[in-house]
Amino acid sequence: MSAVSSLVPARFLTIIAHLVIVITIFWSRDSNVKACLPLEYTQEQYEEEDKKLVVGLSVTLGLFAIELAGFFSGVSMFNCSQGLLSIGVHASASVALLFYLFEQWECSVYWWILAICSVLPACVEITLFIAVFGFKKKAS
Amino acid sequence: WVKCLKHTILSSTPLQILLHLNKWYFAAFYLAEILMFIYKGILLPYPTDNLILDVVLLVLFLGLETLRIFYAEKGDLCERPLSSSMSVLVLFPCTALCVYYLLLQTFVLRLEFILNTILLVFYCAEFVLSVLALSMFSRSRVY
Repeated sequence: MSAVSSLVPARFLTIIAHLVIVITIFWSRDSNVKACLPLEYTQEQYEEEDKKLVVGLSVTLGLFAIELAGFFSGVSMFNCSQGLLSIGVHASASVALLFYLFEQWECSVYWWILAICSVLPACVEITLFIAVFGFKKKAS
Repeated sequence: WVKCLKHTILSSTPLQILLHLNKWYFAAFYLAEILMFIYKGILLPYPTDNLILDVVLLVLFLGLETLRIFYAEKGDLCERPLSSSMSVLVLFPCTALCVYYLLLQTFVLRLEFILNTILLVFYCAEFVLSVLALSMFSRSRVY
């Protein structure tokens, strides 16, 4: 099972890279919020867009918690397909979010990145949880 | 001749997993820190003494962390309390260095703050698991 021994640290590092970038965006979301608004904006518009972005980022952090719980509890640590999916999706999310942060993309792009790169691995993780704890399938 | 008794495995799997991931995370963290120091050294107005202090402490961090992880892994696998307790002792200066890079260094970048916080979480988890494993080893030592 030598492939697994390189999949596990790669998966962990890509998840942590994605997490670090999400926390960085949370911390410095001012310029991204301003990119969503028209040139003349009121304080209420700013706060509404800010709240939407905060909700999106918090949902991302919650989905991270689900995936890390599955990883560290051993449910999906040695599952090769979930590992590969996770590496691919989190690596592309890291690159996309780097562009999002530095190029100051607008807010609607974030929902796409969230859907593809956070919701998908979390759903597969929940499926694996149900498979292992519900149907007693072996977490190969 | 020696009669072989049945031996239950006392080494801690969660600790081994955490140490293995910590090795990889520290490698990535160290690379990131070196790049960030190059960036900071060029861009920010550093007094020379502070820059030299930070770089020397970074080299010290590498040495201490490698030592700590090696002793923790080997001590846990061979179930020897001496190596494990040495790794717990070395954990304290490593934590001090981590807090230095988190709060007390001359210029702290946001990225450094986040990376050092994650490293601190690793250290807390490893401390708890190491102390538990150490108590298991020392309790059941057969003389």
